[in-house]
Amino acid sequence: MTDNPNQEYAADESTDDPTTDDMSIQTDVSESVAASGPTMSGDSVVRAENVDVWYNDDQALQDISLEIPENQVTAMIGPSGCGKSTFLRCINRMNDMIDAARVEGDLYLRGKNVYDDDVDPVALRRRVGMVFQSPNPFPKSIYDNVAYGLKIQNKDGDYDEIVEDSLKRAALWDEVKDQLGTSGLDLSGGQQQRLCIARAIAPDPEVILMDEPASALDPVATSKIEDLISELAQEYTVVIVTHNMQQAARISNKTAVFLTGGELVEFDDTEKIFENPESQRVEDYITGKFG
Amino acid sequence: MATERGEIEDFGHVSRTVGTVFRYLLLAATLFGIVALTVLLIYVANDAIQPLTADPGWHLTFLLTLVLPTLGVGAYLSRTDPASLRFGGAVVGTLAVSTMFAGGVAMLFVDIVEPITWFAYVLALCLALAGVVGIERFDRRLPFLVRFVAAGAVVLLSVLFVPGLVTSLPVYPSDGVLLTLSVGTPIALAAGSYAAVADGRRRRLAAVGVALAVIGLGAFVGPLVGVTPVPATVVLAVAVVPTGSYAVGHVRRYPERRAGLGFAAVILGGTVVGAVAVETLGFAGPQSWVDWGFLTSAHSGTAADAGLYPAIGGSILLMATVAALSFPLGVGAAVYLEEYAPDNRLTRFIDVNISNLAGVPSVVYGLLGLGVFVTYLGQPTGTVLIGGATLALLILPIVIISAREALRSVPDSMRQASYGMGATRWQTIKNVVLPRAFPGILTGTILALGRAIGETAPLIMIGAPNVLFSLPTELSSKVSAMPLQVYAWASLFASEPFYQAAVPAGVVVLLVVLLSMNSIAIVLRNKYQSDR
Repeated sequence: MTDNPNQEYAADESTDDPTTDDMSIQTDVSESVAASGPTMSGDSVVRAENVDVWYNDDQALQDISLEIPENQVTAMIGPSGCGKSTFLRCINRMNDMIDAARVEGDLYLRGKNVYDDDVDPVALRRRVGMVFQSPNPFPKSIYDNVAYGLKIQNKDGDYDEIVEDSLKRAALWDEVKDQLGTSGLDLSGGQQQRLCIARAIAPDPEVILMDEPASALDPVATSKIEDLISELAQEYTVVIVTHNMQQAARISNKTAVFLTGGELVEFDDTEKIFENPESQRVEDYITGKFG
Repeated sequence: MATERGEIEDFGHVSRTVGTVFRYLLLAATLFGIVALTVLLIYVANDAIQPLTADPGWHLTFLLTLVLPTLGVGAYLSRTDPASLRFGGAVVGTLAVSTMFAGGVAMLFVDIVEPITWFAYVLALCLALAGVVGIERFDRRLPFLVRFVAAGAVVLLSVLFVPGLVTSLPVYPSDGVLLTLSVGTPIALAAGSYAAVADGRRRRLAAVGVALAVIGLGAFVGPLVGVTPVPATVVLAVAVVPTGSYAVGHVRRYPERRAGLGFAAVILGGTVVGAVAVETLGFAGPQSWVDWGFLTSAHSGTAADAGLYPAIGGSILLMATVAALSFPLGVGAAVYLEEYAPDNRLTRFIDVNISNLAGVPSVVYGLLGLGVFVTYLGQPTGTVLIGGATLALLILPIVIISAREALRSVPDSMRQASYGMGATRWQTIKNVVLPRAFPGILTGTILALGRAIGETAPLIMIGAPNVLFSLPTELSSKVSAMPLQVYAWASLFASEPFYQAAVPAGVVVLLVVLLSMNSIAIVLRNKYQSDR
């Protein structure tokens, strides 16, 4: 079954000839980044320093510090309620929506602290794409779903081309190219989630956050999404929260293990985490003795 | 304690007598209201329409041409193909409701607004819209304020000067042409696009052209069958073309429901054949009080000549005013309270009080209208404007509550998705929340308007005249309404003939209007729920 999507990608790449276009978009972004703030040296795109999060008086995250490398997949794993999703939502300040949430510490996106007073959370979210746990396409046409970010961000460019390109990268183009005008809600669950991924990458964000993107999907759809994530990591920095350890092992380059109480227990290369973790607690968790 | 033998001979018996009695008592309570209401409705309808006065041959003819075929085909379809049956019923229902609606619109153009005036204002609005879109397209990087001022200037200029310019033209086309252009064009655009489904641009344009041509023909074909151009154009534009487009478009989307068209044809054909048959065979119909004369004449001292026309027109004008006032105010308040308002004491206070206001008796709103609009603002009593404003105040809390309900039913994941894309709150509300909540908001507003159309007390309080002999023509003219006219017949002209004829007929007309409004709301709500 997993052969099928791979063939699709191969077909996509052969049809998707003008890769130079993508490159030019990429350079545009890096220029705008360079202009908008001091770029960090090194490869890390997101850097957290001593981040604490409280919901009212309950501490959800304790003193999190980590660096997320560019163009790689970083997975966050841990038992339910360990704060991995909370951390993800700190990166694009979606926690601002919750009145009770309070964030302390520093979180840098390309060297700029996103919790500085002069950072507009809306502008931040335009540079950080997000894919949610259950597929949530808008009740609009497939085309309008993908073009949504372009429209609200008032982007220049040929929207038809960008929509097509995004759908191709999300491995959905071949399935929907004849029905771009139909509602996004008419698709199957797995297709909807790929539509949401296409929607997230259409405005060409710097980081893509994924909050358990496959947890509501069946195994076939899950494997498609996983292949897609590995594919995306060639051009994007992907941060994915998952409670599926095998998934993290399959697709991520780096893994952060959060354990109950909101602590980051270990953060290292995925291979090391799964084969030879430093912490006994992480080993227990991964081998299934705990959590 | 597993039994040795592994089988049980007797499970015993648990009594359910009390539960059964309780269940049937509940059923009786449920049925009581419905049965009482049905009996009342049948009684009133019998008084108003008097079906028993018809020739038995008349009944027999329609039984054979309309009732039996409809029941037969309906029973067959309901077993084999319920979706088609629903579709066929929807076509007939759309035609009936839209024809009634067309009657109201035709009344508007015959007696209240000159087609040329209407055309002038529509043209002005179109020019204004084109100007605004042009400014938006011209350069999106202009500061918002500049674009806003420029757009405002364009709108103001065209609304101020274009209507005067158009109406002062020495020669202008006939009313039918004007209505075809101003009313027919948008309807033809919508109807043509719906019927064309996913066809290419060219076929879509062709469909729109056909729809517009059919509407335009009304002005020429109408007089041949004895209908003046204005009502003929309006009926084609508002009833026939939309129904046809719905039928064609739906069948092209779901070809398997073709049989529904047959069902609709059986009903419509049966009606026509029956009407022709009773005409040729000379069977007399019922001596109905609800007839063309009742719908098109004003009050009269003799019950047999009394009619509801000015009251129907008044109700239509009142509803238009109420909708125009309460929809923006109510939806605006609902959006603020649902999407923007912080959760603090003030908003909770407002919350509680909106619910309370929804329960305030309508006569109190009448007193409020009298106090504020007449005494304080010095408006003349009983006009369309203050009647509409008072009724708008009356239903405002209902509109707010139902609109908030609709907004709350938009899943939070939609908002999250939009915010996650970097949308501002305004963009999220405009692009995601409102489009999704709109059918629900519309349903709530229509149901609230249904409440307003039956209100009598507030209109009495603000001094609306009980009896009016001509249609109100502008916002500042005196207005009567259907319930008020019925009330007048039942109280001021209380006599046996009025009780027997005019009152039930008025009630039936009022109920038919009310029920068709509610049916629109219910259809909208069902469609909305199935789209989720």
